[in-house]
Amino acid sequence: MEVLRLPLSASQKGKLISAGYTSMASLSSISPSHLALELKIPQTEALEILKSVSNGSKLESTSSSHTIVNGAQSAWEMLQEEETLVHITTSCADLDNILGGGISCKEVTEIGGVPGIGKTQLGVQLVVNVQIPYDYGGVGGKAIYIDTEGSFMVERALQIAEACSADMAEYSRLYRKGSQARESKMMHPKDFLENIFYFRVCSYTEQIALVNYLDKFITEHKDVKAVIIDSITFHFRQDFDDMALRTRVLGGMALNLMKLARKFGLAVVILNQVTTKYADGSFRLALALGDSWSHASTNRIILHWNGNQRYAYIDKSPSLRSASAPYSVTLEGIRNSASNNKRVKNT
Amino acid sequence: MTPENLLLRPPHPRYCTLGCPILDAVLGGGIPCNSITELVSESGCGKTQLSLQLLFTAQLPRRLNGLAGSSLYLYSEFPFPNRRLNQLVESFRSSHPILFASYRDPRDYIFTRDCQTAHDLLDVLLMLESRLKNPKQTGLDIKLIVIDSIAALFRGEFENNASDLKRRSSLFFKISSVLKSHAKHFGIAVVVTNQVVDLFDGNEWGNGVRVGNLEWLYTSGRRVCPALGLSWANCVNSRVFLSRREVVESVENGLSDGDHSGYVDRRKRRELHVVFAPHLPYSSCEFVIRKEGVFGVER
Repeated sequence: MEVLRLPLSASQKGKLISAGYTSMASLSSISPSHLALELKIPQTEALEILKSVSNGSKLESTSSSHTIVNGAQSAWEMLQEEETLVHITTSCADLDNILGGGISCKEVTEIGGVPGIGKTQLGVQLVVNVQIPYDYGGVGGKAIYIDTEGSFMVERALQIAEACSADMAEYSRLYRKGSQARESKMMHPKDFLENIFYFRVCSYTEQIALVNYLDKFITEHKDVKAVIIDSITFHFRQDFDDMALRTRVLGGMALNLMKLARKFGLAVVILNQVTTKYADGSFRLALALGDSWSHASTNRIILHWNGNQRYAYIDKSPSLRSASAPYSVTLEGIRNSASNNKRVKNT
Repeated sequence: MTPENLLLRPPHPRYCTLGCPILDAVLGGGIPCNSITELVSESGCGKTQLSLQLLFTAQLPRRLNGLAGSSLYLYSEFPFPNRRLNQLVESFRSSHPILFASYRDPRDYIFTRDCQTAHDLLDVLLMLESRLKNPKQTGLDIKLIVIDSIAALFRGEFENNASDLKRRSSLFFKISSVLKSHAKHFGIAVVVTNQVVDLFDGNEWGNGVRVGNLEWLYTSGRRVCPALGLSWANCVNSRVFLSRREVVESVENGLSDGDHSGYVDRRKRRELHVVFAPHLPYSSCEFVIRKEGVFGVER
């Protein structure tokens, strides 16, 4: 209990605890007269207690703010935090550009598209790229891949890891001279696979249980910097007798994922399917799981075809402008589009 | 809950050969286990032929890239292809005389069951689970499940209105979920065949939305798309399209100058295309259907 750490006499602490005040937060917004009444102590004593509480929280907070409520930040602190936001590259420069550097850590990004557009490919690329060491401009973290559909193929992950390894060797050769190059750790394709924590879930209950378990798992594996769920939708499109239950369960899962992203500063990427929706007299493609699900993610990217070219389109983001970028799926993984008439469109 | 070790050698084999190295090459080794592969084509293109062939190749030992197990053939289209099955028995026996000697009939390792509706199929799959858990006791060591065809199961029961389509869509996901669960727990390769429907111009959304490597699917000169729509497309891991088209090759009689009286050779060219797969790039090859089975044609 936090109040025990305060520089108060034992009897004062005892009175606080028996009155129900056990944490700093509970004392943060109470007035001295109220506290005096509750604890049956003179007002001056109550004032002194509250002073020591605010001193205590000042000493404990890592920033130099005078926050009253634990966990609150000033907008200035948030700006500073945002400027140091880390991104995971997608290996496609155009896509990274419209994303402001790549998939951002600390946020939940939803990526949806038709079958065969490259969702799983992007997911695998990200679990490989999150492992790129600091020396090569990466995040140097591990990854969790939650496979709900059985789309993850080890051979493909190995191919993508090999290409990443080769890219790193090329970078090393070109930009890092002599001793520096020898010092940096060379990652072999099999090393990449070792750093991917792969979970396969076969039902929606397993999926929920796993998401709930992630907090504990990541606490024990603090170097996890990316969680990919491929796909979040599959087990929820079966018949649910009680649709309200489905909405509640999905909402709970979305909240859990957002908390994970913020708490551990990692990137949560959820892959979603598309469905056709009949609106305004015509059919449109929409992400599955309904309108209530659209609040689950911070950023939303839709992958689609335009002629023979694959595009990624930012559908929703609080900080990125709406834009679209071409990309391609190659033997090496996700890469820039090779066509000549590609262009990054700012809509 | 512990994560799987990706580097460990998998306990089950990974791919089931199709019985032809050219076809295997297009599919990256064959039909993958722990995954649902869909074969889609118009009727008469070779889906059933290929499925029947797999019922045999799955019985091959691992050193020959088989799955060393039995096969289950769930059929919804009648009649059951008995005659072709018996033809293939002969052909397999002659190409693997030691494995399929006279005392070992490959038909003993092929289990068949008819399914009329989607609920039939679900019942069979749910009942299968308990049998698969004790293969030694029940004699059902199934490593390949073929459903031929999935489209026929949904005929007639569903109207073209929103609530029926939604109900149908839920069934897709339920079936796919059970199939994938069995595939994962018992190391089974699942093959599902599907039909095509014609596509009309201007249908950009709905059935016409592009899914996969090919902008349009053509067969017999018509533009088609797989039946059961976008929902079902989300339920399979890989989709392979078999097409048929008439190829006209005029063979000139080069004997006399100016005499262009050659004969015109019309033949049916069958092709297999990878529409989408998580582990494969786009590729295609020509194939032929012979008495001995389905075989790829070298370029």
